[in-house]
Amino acid sequence: MKRFLVLFVPFVLASSIGGAPAWSAETETVFKFYCAQCHGLGGKGDGPNVTKDFPVTPRDFTSAKEMDKLSDADMKNVILDGGPAVSKSPLMPPWGKTLTSEQVDGLIKHLRKLCKCKGKQG
Amino acid sequence: MKSILKAALSTAFLIAAASSSSAEPAAGKAVFEAKGCAQCHYTDGPAREKTIDDQLAKKGPELWYAGSKFQKGWLAGWLADPKPIRPLKFNSLDEENADDHPKLAGDDAANVTDFLMSLTVDAVEAGVIKPKRNVKGKQIFIKKMPCSGCHQASGRKGKISGGRSGPSLVGAGERLNPDWIYAYLKNPTVFKPVKAMPTFAGILKDKDIKNVATYVSNFKAKKK
Repeated sequence: MKRFLVLFVPFVLASSIGGAPAWSAETETVFKFYCAQCHGLGGKGDGPNVTKDFPVTPRDFTSAKEMDKLSDADMKNVILDGGPAVSKSPLMPPWGKTLTSEQVDGLIKHLRKLCKCKGKQG
Repeated sequence: MKSILKAALSTAFLIAAASSSSAEPAAGKAVFEAKGCAQCHYTDGPAREKTIDDQLAKKGPELWYAGSKFQKGWLAGWLADPKPIRPLKFNSLDEENADDHPKLAGDDAANVTDFLMSLTVDAVEAGVIKPKRNVKGKQIFIKKMPCSGCHQASGRKGKISGGRSGPSLVGAGERLNPDWIYAYLKNPTVFKPVKAMPTFAGILKDKDIKNVATYVSNFKAKKK
């Protein structure tokens, strides 16, 4: 029994600890896989696609000043339908046929973490 | 009797022809395995990737539909003298392509080409896309859904510009089967269930996907 507890308890602890932040770990993977191409691995708008020929500056997600201009609904629209949905550049492509709604919701939370801001309310 | 002999001879010829045409792919498969190509490229479909981690675990692109994707002449040349297609290392956003893909010598390159070109899939319908200049395709590629954000292409006076996260499309018309470009854009998850490129099927109309495929399949390599 003792041996069972020794084996079982750490397992339960590990799964509950591992379970809580699972969405954020996955969201970070999603961010790095899709968004970082232009927005950079740290979200500063400096991904490898941003060469001197790149005609626009991708949004710096760490800038609370910039990110506060957007509500969560604005961000969702841009992610799903691309930049033109909010009169921005088509270089931000529409991800509506690529990402799941859970991934999009996770990304919005992730971006709020990066900017440490709540965004435009309502 | 004469006709029986004729039939027997033609059957024998057909068998011989069939076995000789499959001889090189078999030899190529042996080279592919002996050289360790399978460590980075898988050649048995369908697609295996289910998660981003599955995709990131791969060291090189999948080749199970190589015969439908590539043009034979280009592939033979590339295997003998590989040059980077991606500006960055496969699956990386912060490491440059080291330009260190192994080279295959003479017969090995030819045999592996035959093996890879034997890997075809029904998902690519032949004869749909004819490469030519296409104004609508160009407009979509550059302005409407700028593919250039992630892919390099050759512009005016051969100037290469474009993003660096995706494979370069310079010379794509010499590298890729035009019908594969269309099939991939129309039904990407058959080939790449998990990919960093957005899915445009369902956003672009089918005729516009054809326009883009027609435009891209006309890309020539940079003139020297």
